[in-house]
Amino acid sequence: MYAALLSNRYLTSRVIPLIAVGAVALCVALVIIVVSVMSGFLDMLKASGRTLIGDVIVSSGIGGIPHYDEWLTDLRALPEVEEATPVIDTLGLLRMPYPSGPSKEIAPVQVWAIEPASFARVTAYGDKVWWRPPADEDARNAMLPDDPRLLMDESILRDGLTLSQGATGKPGIVMGMHVSVGNARQSDGSYRPRFGWFMPGEEVTLTVVPVSESGKISEPRDATFPIVNEVFSGVYDVDKSRVFIPLAQAQQLLRLDAAPLYDTTAEPDAEGNLPLLGTTPARVTKVLIRAKPGIDALVARDAVEASWDAFVAKAARRSDRLGRPPERVSILTWEQQLRDLIGPVEKEREMMRILFSIIYIVCAGLILSIFWSIVIEKTRDIGILRSVGASRLGILWIFLRYGLAIGVVGSLAGVGIAWVVVDNINLIHEAIGRDAPRAAWITTCALAAISLAMALRSLLWRGRLLPGLLWTIATVTLAVVTLALIGHRGTLIWDPSVYYFSRIPSQVDWFNAAITVGGGIVFSVIGAAIPAAKAADVDPVEALRYG
Amino acid sequence: MGDAAPILAAHDVHRTYRFGQVEVPVLRGASIAIGRGEWVAILGQSGSGKSTLMHLLGGLDRPDAGRGTIEFEGRTVNLGAGRSLDRYRNRDVGFVFQFYHLLPELSVLENACLPGLVGGWFGHARAAAARRRAGELLEQAGLSHRLRHRPAELSGGERQRVAIARALVNGPRVLLADEPTGNLDATTGASILDLIAAQHAEGLTVAMVTHDASVAARAQRVVQLRDGQVVDG
Repeated sequence: MYAALLSNRYLTSRVIPLIAVGAVALCVALVIIVVSVMSGFLDMLKASGRTLIGDVIVSSGIGGIPHYDEWLTDLRALPEVEEATPVIDTLGLLRMPYPSGPSKEIAPVQVWAIEPASFARVTAYGDKVWWRPPADEDARNAMLPDDPRLLMDESILRDGLTLSQGATGKPGIVMGMHVSVGNARQSDGSYRPRFGWFMPGEEVTLTVVPVSESGKISEPRDATFPIVNEVFSGVYDVDKSRVFIPLAQAQQLLRLDAAPLYDTTAEPDAEGNLPLLGTTPARVTKVLIRAKPGIDALVARDAVEASWDAFVAKAARRSDRLGRPPERVSILTWEQQLRDLIGPVEKEREMMRILFSIIYIVCAGLILSIFWSIVIEKTRDIGILRSVGASRLGILWIFLRYGLAIGVVGSLAGVGIAWVVVDNINLIHEAIGRDAPRAAWITTCALAAISLAMALRSLLWRGRLLPGLLWTIATVTLAVVTLALIGHRGTLIWDPSVYYFSRIPSQVDWFNAAITVGGGIVFSVIGAAIPAAKAADVDPVEALRYG
Repeated sequence: MGDAAPILAAHDVHRTYRFGQVEVPVLRGASIAIGRGEWVAILGQSGSGKSTLMHLLGGLDRPDAGRGTIEFEGRTVNLGAGRSLDRYRNRDVGFVFQFYHLLPELSVLENACLPGLVGGWFGHARAAAARRRAGELLEQAGLSHRLRHRPAELSGGERQRVAIARALVNGPRVLLADEPTGNLDATTGASILDLIAAQHAEGLTVAMVTHDASVAARAQRVVQLRDGQVVDG
């Protein structure tokens, strides 16, 4: 009970413990802010990365998956699967509608041929088609007045969602937002056509190279598509290189469609026709699967794997038709598929967490040194407490409790600071991005003048060195802040036109915050433990005599 | 010792302090017996070992290993564990020091009831009782108007009265006073001795260390300590 009384009194009647509380608060706040922003960034990255791939991704070699429509039927019947969609994934060259020097710009692209309806049910494709009229009045009000989307109607969105030009009925192409250099990202994260190059409505020529089942390369083939829309996923690699075309057109271009197979080793008949061996089935190179709500991606992957094995076994028993599915395909969850994208950021976050955790050691060292000096200063008090019957453990507990109180108060204050900063990080960022308001530097200038007057009064009139020094430090600090504010011309740290996400993540990572608070408390107690043990070892007689 | 039964006694105690390589023997076989309800003054020059004897009698220190015992009510206290000595200092004896030794962060009332707060994790009832008792003692000492003041706001005499209230709050059977008037003027010193005398009159045993013969004269019995040994009394 006396330990509570004394540690509370030591905490509230002195300035030094408040410095320790402030140090713990700043350490905890710093770690929480950094980890929260990085966790938010990681979550945004994962969400964006997952946007266009569903929950489970099945990828085959260049030969593709024959009879995929049968397997899709099997997949859709699984209790773990909500929907599945076929995709052809290949590389191509896109001849852009705008020039690059004397010729047209050629862009290397990753072509995804899709069935738009089922693809939109498996992925968030429908939400990511960029050019569309505002969904409601709130969305309209949120757009800047020069946003081209304000003038658009539903037809452009419909064309994007169906991969077909409504006016002509032609199959269309949807490009990643940054495939074209004509899209300029703005500070609010929206886009404006650059050089007047607005892509929808223009035509591009796509060149692809068909590869046979055996890996033999054929002559390149090309086709012209009208650009019907553009898509923004939020992952730069995707938006920079991916284009979407209808599956049927891609199968024809790549010779992956169903076709009769003739026996070229036999003699032609009287009419010059070779004997027909059968029909080679249409193929795709990927199947994307969306798991049922509440089903974990790993569980869905296991179910898909079992279904694939059954499909392969069933196909092996069918000797009456051409086309055998490969025995081995890659079946990955979305996280496994994105590990190259997510892994480095996760490692970076952990590295930051570890590096910033070193601050705890600084914090513990600070508390140790503050407490050490307090114990030396309070040696006589320790002797007095021992003389009225306080035990050594009791003395130990006073200082441990004192450290605990500093850790708890400091850590909670740190959470409060972090919460305020993270919650308002975009406002703070915007404020940094603007010129400093005149009132701010006038205020700091006035405060600097007052500090200077106080410093001169302390040093010249009263002859006091310590307050004079403290006021001088305050004067210099305020003068530097004033000059910095006058010279500040707005620094946009997180430029949405560069960083891709238009807003800085502003959600506190409460799980990590709880761990950080725990760390702050533990290291505060560790810092207090050594001086506390020294206090417990104080000889009461010497303390009373010399303390 | 007179007719009173001994409540506190030191038997042939030795205490040597070591300063680096140098050993300084302070007590060299000192013996003393203090009767129940007796007021004994231990008189001696500076460096004679008075305060050391007081610390040993109060369980703040222990005699050199195997060289003397301290007995309280017939029980040897210096051989017990640390916790039993803590309890002995908390319940059985009360200290008054020359320099008051009050805790500057605590109020007068909090200083006075401090021993009542020591000795238990869940002693709320005991703490309340200690506050009540400290209030009574401070009222007897004429300090009821100073309960919320800090020690720095009190005079020397007032501080010593608070120290006496603190020493008595747990109802000890022996008051150990180390030069209780050594830091006070004669008038204030006399009032402090009056306060001790009033407690003694109520049956409290008092052992008081002093180098001032006029202060020692207030005691029932005077014991002379010279060169670490009791030579008279």
